[in-house]
Amino acid sequence: MIELSLLQAALPPLTRPTIVAIGVAYFVVIAAIGVWATRRTRTASDFFVAGRGIGLFALTMAAMSATVSGFTFIGGPGFVYASGFGAMFLVLPAALTTTMTTWILAKRLRLLGELRGLLTIPDAIGARYRSPAAQGLAGVAILIAVIGYLATNLLALGIVVDAIFSTGLGWGIWIGMAVTLAYTAAGGMVAGVYTDLFQGTLMTVASALVFAFALDAGGGLAAMSRAIASADAMFLEPWGRMSPLAAMSLYFVFGVGAVAQPHVAHKFYMLRDPRRLKWYPLLMTVALLMALLLYFGIGLSVRSLVSSGALEPLAKPDDATPAFLLAFAPTILSGLVFAGVAAAIMSTVNSFMSIGAAAVTHDVPVALGRRLRHELAVGRLATVGISVLAATIAQVSGTLVAFLGIFGWGLFASTLVPALAIGLNWRGATRTGAIASIATGLLMTLALESVAWFGVYAFPTGVTISGASLATSCLVFFGVSWAGRRTAASTLDADVGLIMDI
Amino acid sequence: MSRLAARWRALALGILCVALGAVAFAYASAFFVAGGARWSVPAFIVGACLAMGALMALGAGRDGGPGLLWLPILVTVSIVAAALLLAWALPGDGEPLWLGLPRRAAIVLYGAGLLPMFVLPSVYALTFDRWTLRSGDVERVRAARAAMLSHDPPPDETGRV
Repeated sequence: MIELSLLQAALPPLTRPTIVAIGVAYFVVIAAIGVWATRRTRTASDFFVAGRGIGLFALTMAAMSATVSGFTFIGGPGFVYASGFGAMFLVLPAALTTTMTTWILAKRLRLLGELRGLLTIPDAIGARYRSPAAQGLAGVAILIAVIGYLATNLLALGIVVDAIFSTGLGWGIWIGMAVTLAYTAAGGMVAGVYTDLFQGTLMTVASALVFAFALDAGGGLAAMSRAIASADAMFLEPWGRMSPLAAMSLYFVFGVGAVAQPHVAHKFYMLRDPRRLKWYPLLMTVALLMALLLYFGIGLSVRSLVSSGALEPLAKPDDATPAFLLAFAPTILSGLVFAGVAAAIMSTVNSFMSIGAAAVTHDVPVALGRRLRHELAVGRLATVGISVLAATIAQVSGTLVAFLGIFGWGLFASTLVPALAIGLNWRGATRTGAIASIATGLLMTLALESVAWFGVYAFPTGVTISGASLATSCLVFFGVSWAGRRTAASTLDADVGLIMDI
Repeated sequence: MSRLAARWRALALGILCVALGAVAFAYASAFFVAGGARWSVPAFIVGACLAMGALMALGAGRDGGPGLLWLPILVTVSIVAAALLLAWALPGDGEPLWLGLPRRAAIVLYGAGLLPMFVLPSVYALTFDRWTLRSGDVERVRAARAAMLSHDPPPDETGRV
């Protein structure tokens, strides 16, 4: 759902000299980092896991950049504007998810990665259950979600490029894709991590500055609350205009589901010293909090400005950020924010390109009993292929791309939370349980999202398919593993057991 | 793994199953009653918070158990659940502003959002050396890796081109 809001609305034209200049400067910096990183990328390990050589700050900003996409800057404030306080339930779990992910996944994934020389998230599933089939199935699930997510993000990137440079949407998609592809295919995760570092810094600074302007424009939080309450009493109800079940469903999916998002978890492999994880939750929490300030600040501020008559009612909720910036913020800050939007999308796109390429060149071949000899070269080719496919879908598939973008987060969650996050912490998990849970998450998400999208059946208010699939796949994992518990020990290698006990 | 640690892990898994069951039942109720049955919202709140707490307890600590880390996890998850339950249960008429927001929205934002935000990351950092990862652990893993390589060289994962 992350970029869907962007799909429904072109941004207003932003072609102003200052904004264009900041946009050009942003792309120049990205290109420079890409060239530098390409010279440092010599091996498959460099390409897929940045040579396992990054520091804590780079890990934090890379993980934050992968987590936060353009939705946070455009769709998120629009979501708050339209749905009221209930939209906060999408970001509230961030108070817990960083530490939760670090406890349940980061340490064991990082150590297992070093012990076995792992490159991908499905690699960890294959090692945990000694099962190429589970690895391959996880790779297929990731690939399906990645194509959909990529297409949606590339369309959003095209809209942003078009708004800043007036290129037209089609050219915007291909230009945005080409820039991101250039540094991803050439520099792999080395380029990805260090562009993320720059992009993440840009996002947090822009978000924090805009939050200050939003509070100032609205006259402070209390003044905004009073203005909103006088015009729209439901807006600041705890669930806003959503039902309590719908709001809590967001909380569940973006809380529990956060522990196994492969584009974020994959970055744990890259940390040079696993003992630097000590400060990761604290740093990541601060970075996420700063990046999410804009989500809350603009949504609330624009609603109060509209309520008090200082701003015309918006034609579309997603106009909230552009309308606020163009009316109430200095042009240079607007330029920084729109560069931040491009940065947020590109850092997410880069991560998806990498894990998608890894699924094609590594996980699926391993499942088929073959391992490619030239993974670096094939990985680069796969990155190009996946990107071109996704950009083509973004340009020609019409509304289908919105459907593809819907289930990304939920598909990752329902297929990977049980087999990966729980499985790495439970000796009783079995190979059959892992395969059954991945298959359940994959089939249930695809089938039910299709049923809902094509209007075959309307699910009751508050029932999200992502949440239902996640809960079901976990319960299937427990049930099937429990039924086959006598085989659990036979699928656990001693060295993996060592990691699970640390 | 010690017997105590095994019991902790079994407890965390049991709580996780119950929590996911509560979420599933809340969803199921929405198919029969518009917006879900009255009890579905508190069931969902408790289920979602317990699921997150159980996941943390499952992964926290070392040698298969969370040690004393169960205490901050329990306290934090209880605060979040209590904030959400309060927001659901309190009446909404004539709410005063608390720190700039209507009372129930303030309870959600500050109680379930900001208050726990720095508690667990701080606990994690303060207990890391003792309860999460010691330098000896990393050396054990590296020794195991060296032993594996000496017996069975891995595929050319880092082969230069």
